[in-house]
Amino acid sequence: MLGDLGTTSLTAGLVSAVLAALLWLRVALLGAAARPARLASAATLLAAAAACALLEAALLGHDFSVRFVAENGGRHVPVYYTITSLWSAMDGSLLLWLLILCGYGALLARRRTPDRLRAYAMVVVSVATTLFFALSAFAADPFQAVHPVPLDGPGPNPLLQQHPAMGVHPPLLYAGYLGMVVPFALALAAPLAGPAGRDWVRAARPWALIAWATLTAGIAVGAWWSYAVLGWGGYWAWDPVENASLLPWLTATAFLHTSMGGGRSRDRWNTVLACAGFLLVLLGTFLTRSGAVASVHAFTESPLGPLLLGFVLLAVLAATVLTGRNRPAPGPGRAPLLSRRTAVLVNAVLLVTVAAAVLIGTVLPLLTEPLTGTRASVGPGYYERTAVPLAVVLLLLAGVTPALWVRDRAAALRRLALPGLAALATVAAVGLLSRPGPAALTAFGAAAFVLTGLLAEVAARRRRPGRAWAAILAHAGLALVAVGVAGSSAYGQADERTVRVGETLRVADVSVRLVSVHRGIDEGRMVVRATTQLSGTGTTRTATPTLRYDPARDTAVTVPAISSGPHRDAYLTLIAVAADGSSATLRLAVNPLVGLIWAGGALITVGGLAALAVSARSGRPRRPDPVDRRVPAGVAA
Amino acid sequence: MLAAVVLLALSVAGLARSVAPGPTADPTQAVATGLRCPACQGESVADSSSPIAVSMRQVITDQLAEGRSPEEIRRWFVQRYGEEVLAQPPLRGASLLLWVVPAVVLLGVGTAALRTLRPRRRPVRWRRGAVDAAPTGGRGHRTWWLAAGGLVALVSAVAISAGQLARPLADAPAADPATVAVQLAHDLEGQQRYAAAAEMYREALRERPDDGVRLRLAFALLRAGDAAEAERTAREVLDRVPDSPDGLLVAGLAQRLTRPEEAPATLRRFLSVAPSHPAGPEVSRLLGS
Repeated sequence: MLGDLGTTSLTAGLVSAVLAALLWLRVALLGAAARPARLASAATLLAAAAACALLEAALLGHDFSVRFVAENGGRHVPVYYTITSLWSAMDGSLLLWLLILCGYGALLARRRTPDRLRAYAMVVVSVATTLFFALSAFAADPFQAVHPVPLDGPGPNPLLQQHPAMGVHPPLLYAGYLGMVVPFALALAAPLAGPAGRDWVRAARPWALIAWATLTAGIAVGAWWSYAVLGWGGYWAWDPVENASLLPWLTATAFLHTSMGGGRSRDRWNTVLACAGFLLVLLGTFLTRSGAVASVHAFTESPLGPLLLGFVLLAVLAATVLTGRNRPAPGPGRAPLLSRRTAVLVNAVLLVTVAAAVLIGTVLPLLTEPLTGTRASVGPGYYERTAVPLAVVLLLLAGVTPALWVRDRAAALRRLALPGLAALATVAAVGLLSRPGPAALTAFGAAAFVLTGLLAEVAARRRRPGRAWAAILAHAGLALVAVGVAGSSAYGQADERTVRVGETLRVADVSVRLVSVHRGIDEGRMVVRATTQLSGTGTTRTATPTLRYDPARDTAVTVPAISSGPHRDAYLTLIAVAADGSSATLRLAVNPLVGLIWAGGALITVGGLAALAVSARSGRPRRPDPVDRRVPAGVAA
Repeated sequence: MLAAVVLLALSVAGLARSVAPGPTADPTQAVATGLRCPACQGESVADSSSPIAVSMRQVITDQLAEGRSPEEIRRWFVQRYGEEVLAQPPLRGASLLLWVVPAVVLLGVGTAALRTLRPRRRPVRWRRGAVDAAPTGGRGHRTWWLAAGGLVALVSAVAISAGQLARPLADAPAADPATVAVQLAHDLEGQQRYAAAAEMYREALRERPDDGVRLRLAFALLRAGDAAEAERTAREVLDRVPDSPDGLLVAGLAQRLTRPEEAPATLRRFLSVAPSHPAGPEVSRLLGS
């Protein structure tokens, strides 16, 4: 019953998405009334919402006649993780994807009198929606009926049932990914829309900010999830799925900088970067959702791969054909070295190069496998030698920002003196007192450069609100993340040993004493728990790292016990236990400064939202040109 | 000014100190850092806690104790697992792309940036016409109809290719009851109903007395908690094929529950018969603990 309704809603969504695309094209081409097109877009959103609601209802009601529920539901799964299991596997997550995509479409279509730019953009968004609805309806229908109906299901992947972040990480990430569709659509629409298209960058910037801020938050929550659940002690493994989320973030960051102030003289840069954001989202979806690359996060092999690859090629083709003939406006002449125009482009060059390194590192195994028969391996070492040094240079560049806020060259240079001294002092002090390694040491110096400059700036403009605050917050967040990453990788210590009950394992100033080992069966899962006393800097608490084995999925999950302090985390994992419960193999890691990574991620997100607030208040998009102002029949009626 | 020079000198000293190699840490760790864990994504043998990484670290420690140099140990691992096992495999062939692509992109995008920042003065010709003016009347309608046809064709293409690419349905002849029974039993195992699965495997055995099915029956019995029956079933296989790795594995695991004193011998035999069995590392861990 629910299954039939679900399939119907997918079909209805497909039909209304096709209708929306055609009706918006009528608005754009023939100047037809916008009302029917807006209704069709609303109907598409309604269909996507209905499909999501129906699948949630089937999951919560344990309706195992629905294929997705039979494969991913389970009576033993808690309600929260039953709700999140909608996006714990391919076919269901495609519905969430559609819901968010349609949500962006409806938001873009909310104006009663859209100009031709937005009408063409809606055509692009509607075509994208159509393609994904077709994918869901024809190739990945989660509502297919199952015969015979099983009595129970295995539940979602146990890794996805460990941490409440599962409820926010994928939706945030998807909101970030799909937000990229609007700048992409506007960039494609600009050359078609005539005079209305001249100002597409101003229209695209708020959307890019929303997408970028949510994507930042999604990546940060994902890193936190990986740290708190996967039990290997790290937060970023240069895994293909992580790389796939980083790629659009990099180009979107570049776009946010090149699009500042309308960015007329950088029109081609804006076009390419806005297109690259969404194309990389599509490519990442293809890489990670088709089984093409092996990864912790990738869903299993599916027939969607070739179709998604087709979408990527189609989007590349459309972007090239439509924007290839876009001629940039003449530039305002030579730019001085220390100027915003130079800094913005150097920033873009570096970000695009980082993206190229990450991209080739991610896809090389795919490219070489058919040629050589073996899978070339690209490990973290490659990224540490390419992306990381470039990131440090980018951080230094961020430190130059305060100098760009003054016109006078000498005053600008003076502003860099104090941060420069602070950076040198940091490098000298840290380098002489400890051995963090050259990359981490430079990162500390660069972070000091950025933070000192920003603090001086904050002191100077304490009570003056302005655009600069968004940049101050985001750059400060970036510096904090850099300190956290460099600190935890340079000063992290770990030890792994088998200890008997009553014995103690010690790392730095943290010690852990094994109190007891407990084995049991919990809801069909084997659970092994080690009870320990974790002591560090004056406090003692009980920590219980756990090992869970889920026979239904043949997966073992290591749940670490993390004790977060102000400047360091103690991270305890249970590796194995003796059969008689007399001893356990424990791994104790002390990770300094990790908390700064999450704080920095939050700060960057806040910076993005602040920029959004600023652009919403000061830069109301300009009124459409008179040529485009038509009397909409929908309003007149 | 003087302070700045002193700071500069000190920071250069600090940087130089951190570039110079520090006191060598744990040699096992040093070798393990240079090896990739074959069973995990992007983790080195030093970082991973997977059984295979644990045993690889043990191998490194053992070989170091035998007096081999880190380079020899690395070569030993490369011989066994291929160059894949190195964290930084030598650059050759396609791997060169890893450096060529970012370098080309840096050059290309950098040149483009220079062009934007230092534009050569030249008259910019503005193209007029098609782009700026809204197509009106007949032309607009024609474009619309073309686009509508294209969109419908696109959706049909997705529908048709989805049908072509869909997972091939299992077209095994449903007539073979043993195959069906094994499949059903496998599904039941997926739902953790091991006793029912064992019953189903027995059903399949009646149709087709096959050692593969018998071993699955033994595994199901073991999971259902009937260790004695599991061992008896495994013995039936071992009587015919004394070196059956799975037989030894089930028998050994069952003995751990019934006669713990005999289990290690059986499990050791399993390890010597099938050293590369996927369950190998787990079993050696069980034996070790």
